[in-house]
Amino acid sequence: MSARRSRWLVFSAGAAIAGPLLPLPAESQGSLPAALAEAPSAVSVTVYRDPYRASGSIELDRLNGFALITETRAVHLQAGDNVLRFEGVADGIEPESAIVTGLGDIILEKNRDAAVLSPSALVAAAVGNPVVLTRTDPKNGRVQRMPGTVLSDALGGVVFQTEQGIEALRCSGLPETLSFEDAEGLRAHPTLALRLRSRREVSTTATLSYLARGFDWAADYTATLSADGRSMDLGAWITLANGNGTGFREAHAQVVAGRVNRESGELEPVDIGGPVIANCWPRGSTSDIPMQLQLDMGAAGLRQEGMKKALAAPSAAAALQAIAAPAERAQLEQLGDLKLYRIQEPTTVASLQSKQLRLMDRTAVPVAIVYGLELGPGDDARAAGSPVLASRYLRTLNTPENRLGIPLPSGHVQVFSYHEGRRLLERESKLRDLALNEEVEIDLGPSPDVQVESTSIGRAQRIEISNARAAPIAFELRLRLPDGARIADATPAAGSKNGRPMFSLSIPAHSIGVVRYRTSSSP
Amino acid sequence: MPAAHAADNSLSITIYTDDLALVQERRDIDVKGGRQRIEFEGVSAQIRPETVSLTAGDISIVEQNFDFDLLTPAKLMEKAVGREVTIVRINPATGAETREQAEVLAANGGVVLKIGQRIEVLRDDGLPVRVIFDKVPDNLRARPTLSVTIDGARAGPRSASLSYLTPGLGWKADYVALYDEAAGKIDVQGWITLTNSSGTAYDNAQTLLVAGSPSQAGSPGQFGSVPNGWRPPIRRQTLGQAGTESGSRERLGDFYLYPLPERTTIANLQTKQVGFLDVHGVPAEHGYEYLSHWLATSDQPQSAKSTYRFSTSAHAGLGDQLPAGILRFYMRDRRGEPQFIGESRIDHTPMGSTLSLVTGDAFDVKVKATVDKRTRVNERDWKTDMRYELSNALPRPLTVTLLQDGLWGDSRISSESQKSTRRSADTAEWAVLVPANGRAVLTASFDTRF
Repeated sequence: MSARRSRWLVFSAGAAIAGPLLPLPAESQGSLPAALAEAPSAVSVTVYRDPYRASGSIELDRLNGFALITETRAVHLQAGDNVLRFEGVADGIEPESAIVTGLGDIILEKNRDAAVLSPSALVAAAVGNPVVLTRTDPKNGRVQRMPGTVLSDALGGVVFQTEQGIEALRCSGLPETLSFEDAEGLRAHPTLALRLRSRREVSTTATLSYLARGFDWAADYTATLSADGRSMDLGAWITLANGNGTGFREAHAQVVAGRVNRESGELEPVDIGGPVIANCWPRGSTSDIPMQLQLDMGAAGLRQEGMKKALAAPSAAAALQAIAAPAERAQLEQLGDLKLYRIQEPTTVASLQSKQLRLMDRTAVPVAIVYGLELGPGDDARAAGSPVLASRYLRTLNTPENRLGIPLPSGHVQVFSYHEGRRLLERESKLRDLALNEEVEIDLGPSPDVQVESTSIGRAQRIEISNARAAPIAFELRLRLPDGARIADATPAAGSKNGRPMFSLSIPAHSIGVVRYRTSSSP
Repeated sequence: MPAAHAADNSLSITIYTDDLALVQERRDIDVKGGRQRIEFEGVSAQIRPETVSLTAGDISIVEQNFDFDLLTPAKLMEKAVGREVTIVRINPATGAETREQAEVLAANGGVVLKIGQRIEVLRDDGLPVRVIFDKVPDNLRARPTLSVTIDGARAGPRSASLSYLTPGLGWKADYVALYDEAAGKIDVQGWITLTNSSGTAYDNAQTLLVAGSPSQAGSPGQFGSVPNGWRPPIRRQTLGQAGTESGSRERLGDFYLYPLPERTTIANLQTKQVGFLDVHGVPAEHGYEYLSHWLATSDQPQSAKSTYRFSTSAHAGLGDQLPAGILRFYMRDRRGEPQFIGESRIDHTPMGSTLSLVTGDAFDVKVKATVDKRTRVNERDWKTDMRYELSNALPRPLTVTLLQDGLWGDSRISSESQKSTRRSADTAEWAVLVPANGRAVLTASFDTRF
């Protein structure tokens, strides 16, 4: 085991607290050679699900998952201190998760500047600095340019000084605007910059990896029941979405199934800026309509809005298209206690895009259809007098014998069945993460054909289950008894599931099944 | 009173973990002798003015002011009431300019001007009128400004030291752990993450980070008391055993200090990271854990938690005390690329501690806990039979640490299919071996008063 403590110089505590007059470093940071990392040559995107969603599909306007993005970029460094800037990283970057490898032990610090270029940021940066005021005569179009200085941009009002005196921006009723000398290092998007110290001039590659918000994925299953209701074809898509303004071309894409712990709270705020609001002194006293002039110089709009509009839900259309070329299926591998699905070919994960890739296809999976109802202590009354509908479940076991035997990641299920040769949507349901050998149960919803009515006489219960179907059904009645109560006697004999009493019975076509039981409580 | 501007030339910042920083700087001031006001620009926009202290030789402080009257067009007009301004009328048809002097009579909901003997409302007709002011009133500024009035015994330039507290600067630690499953070892890198939302940039600052927060009794912005009914969420304990080793790091009282090795510029709205720990090949133990709550019955199997356990001791661990932060775990996939497998928060951890961190749910390892039978033995006592079904879909055997809580008071385990250990009065613990692609069942009976 080699343990090594890196890069900390130990100052004496007293000296550091007292803040002695140390000589400044010879080079000021503003004059460091700035290098821009080239565009990524290889990108890998691994998408993780929303950790708080146990089942169901993604919502495009609320992508609460995240992604690990790993990209390789060529960099060129000068000897000495450098600032290396990475542009085109995802907007949802969690800057504290950024890891840069391949450069060795020369990183002094990693910075992410969240002050981005916007009209108001330009004015704020110009306070105390020279600007040029431009006035246009609305009548003849004559343009008058006047050099001046911005004195203040406080509370949305702009005050500036020219050789003529002090004036406020856009209070005169003339078209006025400011133009600036430079953008003071402000950039359109938050960028990640490294301060590095290189011993020599070098051209190399660096690998940057970071976690970014605004991604999500889920499995979208289509289960097609056979005409006899004894087997189904199960196919699934991986639906992944990127809600970031940054796209990833020709990326190696992976998705990870399983819930991972997330502790990172809110992202550090990005000062998205805004338009220049030229708040003025009160005007127009004979009218009380508040007036506020705004000059929108192309403010960075909120992404979310655009995203909602840009994205259309794809799942219904995709689900109908049940058969895919089998060669393009995602490949499964174990990643610790998680499941990683690798998309075989490089794919482009564009910005504001949702994308579907084939996860699996299985045919003729044997299934059982079971009707059931759970009655709790208060539910006896619910079923008393007016019958309640039993639910219909589709069940199978996730084993190789059942032509499954693969991990099934959580998602959304659409169940289709055949009616006179046409394949029709019967029910939409959800699936949680299912491991090998686990029971798969898809809720097909309440069935009006099977109804349950209960009558109670003291501690005795009589429950009638009516079957209006033209075929016999399997029925399960599950009970939740009050604390300490147990079944004293019952017809048919009570079984148990999950520690609770359960009656399993088969009810012939067009007939009524009866369960009788009596409870007693312990002393 | 003459106002001098102080120029800063040496800056040091001490940042505590609880959104508080002490800024100390030396500034050159030009003392003119006698009473004089000095303005300090570039102090934190969130400065707590009551904490400011200024010291320099041969001066005495008369008063300290923090002016937050901001220069806006409306304020400019308000302060011009009773004064003369120049108005320039522009003829919209010809573009011809007419200059006039006007006295501002009032600026309440509209500006009333007196031009010669006429009284007019500014721009009531909507025609363009420029208003030109001669000067900016003294105490209007673009940013809140700290000013100190001093009484200098002798004239001449000298160096003054200024210190104050400000919120808006904070730091935490971020760790990257790469787990090698085959070797059972982790590599850990630690980064200090510094954030600045104080509204001001600090150039070339000597920076010291303190792993702790001094109490801010009654300071503005602090809650006097915890709101009613609020309870901190119960979190799984991450510290297995608190350490007893001392590190070589500097301390301030009981706090560890982390000085940044070089002067650095902390820009506004910047997140800055500097490395402080890089350790390779620390032994780590991967395990599974499931906590069953009292009388919980699950209809569906629930995933066990994946846990990683390692030491921070000098001889077999990270060999450092760890400031509070988030530890992110990575693992290499089949192509050798590191992939994220979950993260966990840690508290300030002394050296020599054992940490047990949860990264997430295990897809393949599940537990179904059911209350099999619950009977009332007599008026006071209950007997509860629990059944735990554990399943493992991985092709290797593994051990799950199964915990049952809620056993406070004089609870007793009357029978169990496997010997338990009592982790605490409240919690029993079993180490259950689950075969590869197999299942295991554990049963236990509890005698309780509830």
